[in-house]
Amino acid sequence: MSNDLLKDKKIPLRTLFKRTWKYIAKEKWSFILSLALILITVVSGVILPRITGYYTDEITSINPSLNKIIWIAVLMLGMSIITQGFVLLETMILTKAGQRIVYSLRMEVFTLIESMSQNQFNDMAVGSLVTRVCNYTSQLSEFFTNILVKIVKDLSTVVVTYIWMMVLSYRLGLVLLGVVALIFVISYIFSVNVHRVFSRERKQISDLNTYLNESLSGMKIVQLFKQEKKFEKTFNKKNNEYFKTKYKVTIAFAIYRPLISLIYVLTLALIIYYGVRYNLTAGVIVSFYLFLDYFFEPVQSLADSLNHITRAVSAIERLYNLLDIEPEVVDSKNAIEVDHFNGKIEFRNVSFAYEEDNYILKDVSFVINPKETIAFVGETGSGKTTILNLIVRNFEPQKGDIFIDDINIKDIKLSSLRKLIGQMLQDVFLFTGSIRNNITLFDDSYSDSEINNAVKYVNADTFINSLPNKLDEQILEKGESLSTGQRQLLSFARTILAKPQIMILDEATANIDSETEAVIQSSLNNIKNIGTMLVVAHRLSTIKNADQIFVLSHGEIIEKGNHEELMKSQGYYYNLYKLQYSES
Amino acid sequence: MFLLWGKHINKYYLKYLIFFLVGLASLITVDWFQLELPEVLGSIVQYLKDHGTIDLTSPFFHDTMIHVIYLAFILLGGRVLWRLSLLFASKKIEAHMRHEIYLKAEALDVTYYHSHKIGNIMSWATNDLDTLEEFLGWGTLMMVDGIFLTSFAIVKMFVLTPSLGLISLLPIALIALVGALCSGAMSNRWRLRQEANDALYDFSQESFTGIRVIKAFVKEKQQIHEFRKIAKKSKDFDVKFVFVSTLFDVLIEIVIAVIVSIILGFGGWFVYAAITGNPVVIFDRPIIIQPGELVTFIGYFFSLIWPMIALGQVVTGFSKARASYHRIANFLDVPIDIVDSESAIDVDIKGNISFNHFSFTYPNTSKEVLHDITLEIKRGQQIGIVGTIGSGKTTLVNSLLHLYNINPHQVFIDGADISEIKVACLRGGVAIAPQDNFLFAGSILDNVALTDEEYDLDKVNKACDDADISKDIKDFKDGVNTLIAEGGVTVSGGQKQRISLARAIFKDSPILILDDVVSAVDIKTEENILHNIKENRADKTTLIVASRVSTVMHMDKIIVLNKGRLEAFDTPQNLLKCSETFKTMSLLQQFSVKKGDK
Repeated sequence: MSNDLLKDKKIPLRTLFKRTWKYIAKEKWSFILSLALILITVVSGVILPRITGYYTDEITSINPSLNKIIWIAVLMLGMSIITQGFVLLETMILTKAGQRIVYSLRMEVFTLIESMSQNQFNDMAVGSLVTRVCNYTSQLSEFFTNILVKIVKDLSTVVVTYIWMMVLSYRLGLVLLGVVALIFVISYIFSVNVHRVFSRERKQISDLNTYLNESLSGMKIVQLFKQEKKFEKTFNKKNNEYFKTKYKVTIAFAIYRPLISLIYVLTLALIIYYGVRYNLTAGVIVSFYLFLDYFFEPVQSLADSLNHITRAVSAIERLYNLLDIEPEVVDSKNAIEVDHFNGKIEFRNVSFAYEEDNYILKDVSFVINPKETIAFVGETGSGKTTILNLIVRNFEPQKGDIFIDDINIKDIKLSSLRKLIGQMLQDVFLFTGSIRNNITLFDDSYSDSEINNAVKYVNADTFINSLPNKLDEQILEKGESLSTGQRQLLSFARTILAKPQIMILDEATANIDSETEAVIQSSLNNIKNIGTMLVVAHRLSTIKNADQIFVLSHGEIIEKGNHEELMKSQGYYYNLYKLQYSES
Repeated sequence: MFLLWGKHINKYYLKYLIFFLVGLASLITVDWFQLELPEVLGSIVQYLKDHGTIDLTSPFFHDTMIHVIYLAFILLGGRVLWRLSLLFASKKIEAHMRHEIYLKAEALDVTYYHSHKIGNIMSWATNDLDTLEEFLGWGTLMMVDGIFLTSFAIVKMFVLTPSLGLISLLPIALIALVGALCSGAMSNRWRLRQEANDALYDFSQESFTGIRVIKAFVKEKQQIHEFRKIAKKSKDFDVKFVFVSTLFDVLIEIVIAVIVSIILGFGGWFVYAAITGNPVVIFDRPIIIQPGELVTFIGYFFSLIWPMIALGQVVTGFSKARASYHRIANFLDVPIDIVDSESAIDVDIKGNISFNHFSFTYPNTSKEVLHDITLEIKRGQQIGIVGTIGSGKTTLVNSLLHLYNINPHQVFIDGADISEIKVACLRGGVAIAPQDNFLFAGSILDNVALTDEEYDLDKVNKACDDADISKDIKDFKDGVNTLIAEGGVTVSGGQKQRISLARAIFKDSPILILDDVVSAVDIKTEENILHNIKENRADKTTLIVASRVSTVMHMDKIIVLNKGRLEAFDTPQNLLKCSETFKTMSLLQQFSVKKGDK
């Protein structure tokens, strides 16, 4: 299943073009305007070598005119400034248009991804989604603003230069036609080959990275099994291969670039030879010499652009493949909106397995009354967390039904269900941003007093107020600077702010210092008053204070009752309690 | 090169000195000869001016053509050579240093990895080395061109016509000025753009990773809203950066145009005045310039542009490369904690272990995890280790692998103090299946036969049988050659554990440690595994950390740990009488099994 959703499907070029046109059409005036500007700059740019030619003719003539000389110098400067002004204008128009396209594409892709279900998420690597949001979108826009426009620019430069050369001396122009063809062919062959080596280089560096990551992650095993030499050997092999490929690229360029410059100098020789042979003036020869720059560079980059097109197309294809994914709709057709829960929860013969036949929950039934606090206790893998997951429909049970206030949760809109059930998860995921952002989850609709009330309610105010910037303190390194207890308090505040009517809590197991422990305890006592609360409990105090304790083993509830009752019956709970808490 | 020195790189300069020298020599040759091209053009213009036409058969024309062609080939040779030599050296150095980084990473112990991110090492071994390599290769090119081509051209301009040289030198300084100003603004904008781009990556990465929280609180809209801000910022900074960098190009072009106009204007005036017989006089010296010389002069000026810009870029390139080098050097200089002492010996490990008042505290912490453990394990014994979470079970078995330095005279193997046994020898004699059952990408075979490059397939199969994973492997399409992870099957946690176990069994060491590996498998599988181990390791020592009493019930002796202290060390039967912890654990287990069977 994995990666199926992101599999590359070929899209016919026609469709590809049609879909892309949708984005381009919005910016068509920018494109038209910048194309017009490009043509102007190309023409005015190509005039410069010719002006230099006139100048050369003037100073080499028998009767030079000082006026003309000075005017030509001024004209050069003026033309140059105007041309450069247009270049700046054209680039900015195009860049802005391109960025607007990227922006709207990114929003479209991001919105789509956010609307996918948890299930669809599990099937896709986060990394490849990120690449699609960040890279492929800009590749699509670059295709138009950079590659296509550059092709137009290069092509028109070559054509205009060539026309001018033909006008100056069609015979020399014809000679140079051979040179143009030669550069194009050499550049194209080079470009095809070097891109092949480039893609191998990219593959090898990513291989090398994967291997590095892998062996660093498993370094303990490498050392314990004293396999350092073997791993070093493999690493070095990859390292050397990468070096060789990189050097191959260097060799390719070490042939190509000097070869082009050789052709350049030899072309100069040709210009001199034929210029002299056809009795051209010094000025024309100088013009031709300066024209060289106007077609050497563009012809090379034209050849290169052809290569870029194929690569851009595959990026665009992948982007469209993602956009074609339909979000899994999880609400049933007649799902209802609910704005209030009393808090009665019932499991009726619920069985659940992540993998076939390996049941984590086996035929579990129970009823929880409104406002009760229930603690789930049991070994790892006994099914405690699974029960909480099923209530918010992160997964659907294979058998049985779950009811809240006697409504089957399948018939409640997912957004209502999740809004009314506050989830406090064991692993508190913190987002980059301020403490405030992490409590509101970037929802600006909460007022400061609402936030402060929530923070106070869960006793998180003491620790937040001790931070230099209080609520606006930035969270660094995904909250590693915060203790487990503090993170849990933030998670509580997050939940309270959302005004839930049922709460589920997966307590953190990691060490919490006794001071924070006390804070969390009193905070939990507050939260308990809000409504029904289901806790996967590790803390003795939570367990003791619960209205009911459900003891789970191997997917079944084996004992039920409050602390005193269970201690009295001297069963599983009694022993567990003795083993883990006897000394507390 | 030239600027970047340090003990981790100097040795490579020396090693590839010949390549650097050849590279430098070729570059300087190219710099020298490429300035002859404008001279050729100038001489043609001058000849045409003087003679009107050029005779194809004249010696002047003949010599000129030969000159151009030999220039073409000298330049070809020089340009090929500097790339091949200089870039060879820089890329070789990159590869060498990457190797050094890897060796260092292998030498560092678990303590380092606990407190440092491997992402950093990865980035030193790739991004920072790239920066360094680029500076060594292209940075050297820019520096050589910046220094030699610039001075050659300026000297030639002055020799040709000092006055025009002076007039144009001032604005030439403008190129450097514009370059310096813009590159400052540009690197600033570039950084902002990069940050905005990183924010885009980070935000989407985080949003997709934390999607569970977002869905739980129904905050998709807020995420999209927040993303919109970031995407907008990225858009704006991108536009700003492009503006500054285009402005830089445009300004440079305009400065060049200004200088060209100055040269054309003044030069033209000088030429005109000389031709008309009234040469311009500056500082009492008449200036006489021929048209051909003016063309050559302009040619020199054009050769100056690139190296002037390059000089500006070298400065930023250098500071980046220096920062990268320091990061790498800092890593290479990290002291290594676990090293063989000078008196360390090789020991023929048989499997007798003794702890003598052993106490242990993790480095950089103050809490003692194990207190005063004294016990003796004989070769061939099967020892179970139990205790509550955090009682020190894993720490105890890890001490046998010298993962951390331990106090001398407290742990002995076959009578030798463990801190005096060579690490390689020690780890060769002790096999472990650790709690975190890390498997490498690759085939199951590669993982099981980790310790043996020329494995015997029968031995691999036997290890898999003993770890009770053979049945599972048979179900995979390619058997033991099935790839794990990337492009292969996804193995479950239990399967991973058993493959990790097979890997330890395969090593067939005098001492085998299983750190809680059988807890995730069902009772039947556990029984199989324990039975196999008992059968095959009669004369070898085995230590099994367990969370279930049933696992250790048939062991020779059991170590019961309680909060870092040795509560008891005895046979299971005796423990049921004397150890409180063991008794409770066993009761709990019976209860749970009974319920599970109903």
